[in-house]
Amino acid sequence: MLLELQDVHVHYNKVAALKGVSMSVPENGIVTIIGANGAGKTTTLRAISGLTRISSGEIRFNGERIDNLPPDKIVARGIAQVPEGRRIFPDLTVEENLRTGAFLRKEKSGIESDIQEVFGRFPRLAERRRQWAKTLSGGEQQMVAIGRALMSKPKLLLMDEPSMGLAPVIIQEIARIIKAIVKQGVPVVLVEQNAELALGLANFAYVLETGTVSIEGAATELHENEHVKRAYLGV
Amino acid sequence: MSDLILQTIVNAVYAASYMSLIAVGLVLIFGVMGVINFAHGELYMAGAYVVVALYAESGMPFLVAVVLGLVFVGLLGLLMEISLFRPLRDNPLGGLIASIGFLLILQTTAVLGFGVRMAHIPPPTQEKIELLNGVVLTHQRLLVIIASVALLSLLYLFLHRTKYGWAMRACAQDREAAALQGISLSQVSRLAMFIGAGLAGVAGALTAPLVSPTPYMGHSVIVTAFIIIIVGGIGQLEGAIVAAILYAFVHTFVTTFFDGVIADITGLLLMLMVLVIKPTGLFGAKDRV
Repeated sequence: MLLELQDVHVHYNKVAALKGVSMSVPENGIVTIIGANGAGKTTTLRAISGLTRISSGEIRFNGERIDNLPPDKIVARGIAQVPEGRRIFPDLTVEENLRTGAFLRKEKSGIESDIQEVFGRFPRLAERRRQWAKTLSGGEQQMVAIGRALMSKPKLLLMDEPSMGLAPVIIQEIARIIKAIVKQGVPVVLVEQNAELALGLANFAYVLETGTVSIEGAATELHENEHVKRAYLGV
Repeated sequence: MSDLILQTIVNAVYAASYMSLIAVGLVLIFGVMGVINFAHGELYMAGAYVVVALYAESGMPFLVAVVLGLVFVGLLGLLMEISLFRPLRDNPLGGLIASIGFLLILQTTAVLGFGVRMAHIPPPTQEKIELLNGVVLTHQRLLVIIASVALLSLLYLFLHRTKYGWAMRACAQDREAAALQGISLSQVSRLAMFIGAGLAGVAGALTAPLVSPTPYMGHSVIVTAFIIIIVGGIGQLEGAIVAAILYAFVHTFVTTFFDGVIADITGLLLMLMVLVIKPTGLFGAKDRV
């Protein structure tokens, strides 16, 4: 397993946000985490990236403990995150945003060719490379956020609600992009409220409910699960 | 009369230049670290006393003392980050209170080392340029203007052309998102404190021969710097520079044609006006989430 969470607990002040979450992410494919608001999906990703301290449990990446390392050290190990709400840098240009993603990389030529690759993947960003990122549309900003995360050459990509606030057409485009990323060999952990989309893309799925994993299984199985259908697919 | 106006403009340009250095340093620290550095005025004072100690009392060349002033006060900033702001990172109010403590330490150290009276500094140069009949710009003031423009240009190039410059701007815009790119917040905070404090220090060092330093000279400066960053928009470097120019012109003109107290009141009124008309400051963006 590439990434393993073992009995992870997180507390915000005294309130428990994760109460013993265990998950594993294999070296390829998409693992999705679905669940309602406040179930702990974002907290799980924040804990993996080191933005939130875990109070007990273990997080292992490639077999090594990474829990409670500072975020920059976790990026250095090869875990990138596309955070909830995109969180691009509004007053940097599109290109500068992408370059911040390559902050830890030393090889100049590799960075240049990867910038070109991102522009190839997102032609609309190439046209807007010198614009302030805040002037972009929501979908374009999501592309900047994804491109920025890819610029670190991650071994694992965490994505938090990439479909949030986007029009259906754009969501389809984002879904295509995610598939393409996985096809190129970068596994993805996808957190989504849009369970239909997530289960359609993923190989394996976890359902989080009030800080614990309530159901897990192959995505196709969960798609047919009665509880999942009722609670998350609105069937 | 027109000579007097021209002379006042020259004086205002001088005031704007060193005020920009101080305000930009304060904005940089606030932007990157989210703490309000109340000791910023005392960092300015410390820079002035480096010139007192090295140039006035030990006879080092003035410019060498100025450079050492920048480095020394920059290191003081680094010390503040490591000893105060880092342990209090998740507690901006704690950082503010700790910086007030640091202010008192610096002030007391200056009193113990140099006494409470104004330090006299022999002017490094007496020469001046006569721009028109009677309108004078001393070399000392010209040096302050040139050094300020040069340092601010360097800072601009650093922020826009280098990797650590981008990292610093990214941190100022969204610290968590910056951390997710592998940017070390500790590293960038140290850098911001060194640069921010160093700019205050070099402003103090450059102006020391013109102002006669006292251990309490930081007070008026910090009030001015706060007015400037509120007018310019908190966290906006360009805003701080424009606001420093605006404030310096208003303040210098009112001082010349009325008096200093009225000028201070006018400065505060200017801040109030901006707060009423555009609460985010002249260059402030909408509130970010």
